[in-house]
Amino acid sequence: MAQAGKGRLNYRCPSCFMRDIDMDMFYDKEKDEYYCLRCQYRGNEKDVLEKNEMARFRYGAMAKRIKFDVDD
Amino acid sequence: MNEFIVNIIHRPEMVPEYAEKVTGHGKAEDLGRKALLRESLDIFLTQQECAHKNGLKTTIQMTYASLFNDEAVQTAKEHHEKYGDEIALSLLGLPCKEFRDKYKTKDFCIWMFSMDDKKAIVRDVFEKFYEKFGFYPESTGSYYMDADLINFIKAEYPSVKCAVATCWEEGPKAYHTCNNSWYTFMDGGPWAPWIPSRANTHAPAANADEDSGIVAIPHLSRDLLACYDGNGSNFGTHPQNVLRGMIYDTKTWEYPYLYNLIDQYRSLGKYNNGYAYNMMFVGPGWMNKMGRWEQPYELLLKSYNDGCAYYGKLKKEGKLKDLTMAEFADYYRQKKTYTEPECALWSDILYGSDKQLFWYTDPYMRACVNMDQGGAVVDLRPYAAKLEWPVGIGTKHVYDASYPFLIQEKYRAGYFTHYAGEGTVRSAKIIHGGEEVDLCLCRTKAHFSQSGRDRVLTLDPVEAEFSDGLTVKIQSVITFTEGSSEIKFERRIVDMSDPTADVTVREYMVGCYGTTEYSEDMTPLTLKVSAEGGDKVIPYKYKCRTESAVGASEVSCNIPPIKTRVSMRCGNGGALGYVSEGYAFSPMFTLGYEIKVCDKEDVVTWLKLERAD
Repeated sequence: MAQAGKGRLNYRCPSCFMRDIDMDMFYDKEKDEYYCLRCQYRGNEKDVLEKNEMARFRYGAMAKRIKFDVDD
Repeated sequence: MNEFIVNIIHRPEMVPEYAEKVTGHGKAEDLGRKALLRESLDIFLTQQECAHKNGLKTTIQMTYASLFNDEAVQTAKEHHEKYGDEIALSLLGLPCKEFRDKYKTKDFCIWMFSMDDKKAIVRDVFEKFYEKFGFYPESTGSYYMDADLINFIKAEYPSVKCAVATCWEEGPKAYHTCNNSWYTFMDGGPWAPWIPSRANTHAPAANADEDSGIVAIPHLSRDLLACYDGNGSNFGTHPQNVLRGMIYDTKTWEYPYLYNLIDQYRSLGKYNNGYAYNMMFVGPGWMNKMGRWEQPYELLLKSYNDGCAYYGKLKKEGKLKDLTMAEFADYYRQKKTYTEPECALWSDILYGSDKQLFWYTDPYMRACVNMDQGGAVVDLRPYAAKLEWPVGIGTKHVYDASYPFLIQEKYRAGYFTHYAGEGTVRSAKIIHGGEEVDLCLCRTKAHFSQSGRDRVLTLDPVEAEFSDGLTVKIQSVITFTEGSSEIKFERRIVDMSDPTADVTVREYMVGCYGTTEYSEDMTPLTLKVSAEGGDKVIPYKYKCRTESAVGASEVSCNIPPIKTRVSMRCGNGGALGYVSEGYAFSPMFTLGYEIKVCDKEDVVTWLKLERAD
């Protein structure tokens, strides 16, 4: 098996992201999956994207435009 | 009328951070790769274009590497002429073939070099700048600039009047986020511009004698709530940092959070005599053609364009002034006095909660008050000590440039601990019938007001309930008096369900010292109760001892490793002052006062910070 490389985009591990760790993942061509060097997460691109959406659960106000009291 | 200032800074970083590591993955390192140099310059030109087309001027911080590139030098000269951009000099972006060949090291953070190397590099870079431009710069910067470095630069190159000098709350959290590989330990500084003292960059100067001669600006304007808990590099006025935090809609590529962040900063003018500030400084590595993490180049570019467009729109509407760094330094010197504090009553704009923090900085302290914890002080930095803290190779702090804390709720537990012990916090407990209610568990909201030299935080009253049916409504008023080095806490018993009852109020501070999550040696500390009948002293030995005295004039702790003395006094006669030593599993100290009060009565205490020697 050849060494792993980077994929089309440089995905981070969604599991580590959710604990505030930015871990680049590496891509295993033979298994068509990304895997984390730190934890046990592995998944294909679709799974990574789904988990990234999940990671946004805490951003309850992410889509909201807030009006502030600014004395311009 | 609010004045909202922005500094937009670009640096032609010929070998951008990340780019060599990320885009060059799988290739042997080559800092002179032509494709890399070309791409780096193109990104810089793109950033300049984004600003200029939105009517914004920039500060071009030339890097050492860019001084060897004729196109970068020529572009800076042209943009200065055409757009009024300032040509400045960054101490970021040192890595390049010429630097490596000369200094034989892969270090790239100026504050981490030995003092001899700092001097050599500064002279080298500044003289190279002079050779190319025929003048010395007025602005410089890095992610952090230690006091010795600033003092040296100011002495050698007095033209310098402004510098990027810290990244707010970039410390252990950033280190952890980067898989324990990012050595920017610089917690504990101001979040908004300040005049650094000659002794310690993070601690603002209290007077002309302490003035380092420059105006410092933070690297980015960061979310004062999200950054305090999470990775600082996800929540700032750096559009790609917002993408790094995944705070955008993947379908529409929209990120209202970025605009909310800018607008919340705009709103801070009402706490700072009508002045508010923003800084945007995106290194070219964040806009490389390979994309950055999940974000393709197109999104990176869009976000930078959008960021500039928003600032440009505010400018067109007359709501923003774009200044260069040097212009800003002049503005700031006119606008602020040494002792005028910087205040920010900050609300959550990310999670959708209504949580509020109040941040306060002046030459004597930086403090954070948490309204979700009843107005408890959850972070406290004793700037009054003006602690000399040399950093870099050859010092005791090779990489740790953080200003030490006395209270830090994230690193040292705060109110909530597991199983045993105490965490650092300044709060109060209401005690009745063998029960205690800590104000940390009483969520509330704050209202800011200013009266003379006082910045006053008036909290909505909260209610403590006891099992015998007694309810006590209590209001906290927290006052920061400019130049006093004290925080005043007033607790007012607004109402009691039984007007004939009484309760005991215990005002307390649990403290320690350090810059990281891990405890330091507490044995140099001394606790003292000062009272008419004689002082009672506890030399810290982790023995869990307590001393107290009725009518104590002061309770204090002397902390020689950070040259700090912290004390409390109480305005209520007959209060019991006490000090408590911690133990191995709870390496803290406690200062406090207890007093019995009835309906409509007040308890007043002050917390004071001083230099110990």
